[in-house]
Amino acid sequence: MSHQLPAILFLLPLFAAISMPVVCLKHRHWSYRISVAVLTVMVLSSVFNLHNVVNYGEVRYVFSGWTVPLGIEWVADGLASVVLVLVSALGLLGVVFTGPTSPQALGGRIVHYYTLILLLMSSLVGIVFARDLFNLFVFLEVAAIASYALIGVAGGRALFAAFRYLILGTLGASLYLLGVSYLYAVTGTLNMTDMVERLPMLLNSKALVGGLVFMFIGLGIKMALVPFHAWVPEAYTYAPDSISPILASLVTKVALLAWVRIIYWVFDASMVIYGIQILLLVGILGALASVIGASLALAQRDIKMMFAYGGISHIGIILIGIGQDNSTGFTGGIFYLLNDAVMQAALFFLAGVAFCQYGVRTIEDMGRVGKQAPWLTGSLIVVGLGMVGLPPTGGFFGKWYIILGALEAGNYLSVAAVLLSTLLTLGYFVKLFESIFRQSPAQPDAPSGEIPFSCKLALGITSAAIMILGLFSAPIVRLLLNETLPPHL
Amino acid sequence: MVDALSAVFQRPNFLAFVVIFLWGFYIMVTRYNLVKKLIGMYLVQTSVIFFLVSISAKKGATVPVLLSTTEPVQAASYANPLPHVLTLTAIVVGVATTGVGLALCGAIYRKYGSLDEEKIIEKL
Repeated sequence: MSHQLPAILFLLPLFAAISMPVVCLKHRHWSYRISVAVLTVMVLSSVFNLHNVVNYGEVRYVFSGWTVPLGIEWVADGLASVVLVLVSALGLLGVVFTGPTSPQALGGRIVHYYTLILLLMSSLVGIVFARDLFNLFVFLEVAAIASYALIGVAGGRALFAAFRYLILGTLGASLYLLGVSYLYAVTGTLNMTDMVERLPMLLNSKALVGGLVFMFIGLGIKMALVPFHAWVPEAYTYAPDSISPILASLVTKVALLAWVRIIYWVFDASMVIYGIQILLLVGILGALASVIGASLALAQRDIKMMFAYGGISHIGIILIGIGQDNSTGFTGGIFYLLNDAVMQAALFFLAGVAFCQYGVRTIEDMGRVGKQAPWLTGSLIVVGLGMVGLPPTGGFFGKWYIILGALEAGNYLSVAAVLLSTLLTLGYFVKLFESIFRQSPAQPDAPSGEIPFSCKLALGITSAAIMILGLFSAPIVRLLLNETLPPHL
Repeated sequence: MVDALSAVFQRPNFLAFVVIFLWGFYIMVTRYNLVKKLIGMYLVQTSVIFFLVSISAKKGATVPVLLSTTEPVQAASYANPLPHVLTLTAIVVGVATTGVGLALCGAIYRKYGSLDEEKIIEKL
């Protein structure tokens, strides 16, 4: 039973998504309950899967019995299982948060909305598990198509943002596919494990370098790396309030995970092509992204826009950790990825509650909320501590291990970039808090209303998770060090 | 230089791929009409599929069904089925993306009454 878990985890949301338009034809309100039930089962089975992988080793799953070079292989190893627990838990939280707010905004499209969310979840499971480059492409595209539709579902400005995302995202997917076909032309295989054995003799091939560059640009667009980040802020700002937490916390991070898989598991990460270390390049791009993203965030007035740029800068910090080529930096990067996903979800939950309950869109508006919304302000303080990276939160320990890894590798530029981006993050959170706590009698109070229970739940759980990731960072980092490291680190 | 040029012109398929890809990319970047952007996007996708077909084409090969079960298999006489499967899947993915893109275009036209990017930005 337990060796079928990868397939079950994927098929559960997929079948629920396919059957939902039929099942919920007459009873629209069932769609919410079905998705919560399916995602709860998914969280439980992903935790069970992680438990199995930690205790009994990784699970290799081949579809319909076609063995490795011929068939498609999925591997549930430590990294995939840890990230999958995160993906399913944040997906469930996002749907629970959606519950009460979406019906007004979406009207009759509620069934399609939940169908798309479940489809997105199943494709994310596929990206996390896939050990086949083309399979990865298909799931990246399914995830992207579901995100385009989810962003555009509310209409208005979101339509135009979704269209831009579609154009850029498809360009990224085409470049990734081009890279895959280059690698296929050189090696004659698509399976990652099979490709590893054939690559060492081909390191001087120009097609290999070309393929790697195209794949990197393609995935860079998907993960919102800085020169290719143009679609992110608008898409996350104008997307429905209920969907931006799921998109911001999961889609870009999982694309980044796919890139980590390719450089560490397929290519030997320390390989040097034409005198350039690819990991050094990744580290430099990450440093640029972390500083530029945080500076752009500092210039924003719209809070969702500001949080979106914050997320872009954190993608850079994760890449700095990944790019150090030692186990400390790698573990720090993965730990920061977990933290960042939770923090992005928390930030967009906050922005959603602030808009739905108090009509807050910009930083100035936040001043009207201040003292009458303890839940909002309290969780904003916790998330702020996490984003800046102060000790009791998980953000601190993530940055700590990344900096330790960079010092170990002697990369002082990376250390400076992490510190600079931390200072800039502090800058935009100070701006936000200043606006909340400043006495401004001229501004009338926002119409206060009780925050729905599910929103409090989402805010409370994410804030608690940020603290727990910090307080229990030692066992989590030990788990990551033991289970998630790539073969040669 | 002459060597490089002759190497390029001996592979007309790859030249065609580069031309179609860049043409599509140019249309995506320079045109303001959203449907034209989608056409450019479709050209880019098609060019990649064309590349995939070009690298896997084989002269004198037949369908990948064994002609005889007694003789040893001659790999050179059968076409490789994998790239065809990849191409089919990539076409399906491309059609799905274009479908979503056209649906978004329709919704944008109903909302803003125009498909011109500049006019839409004015109205935002």
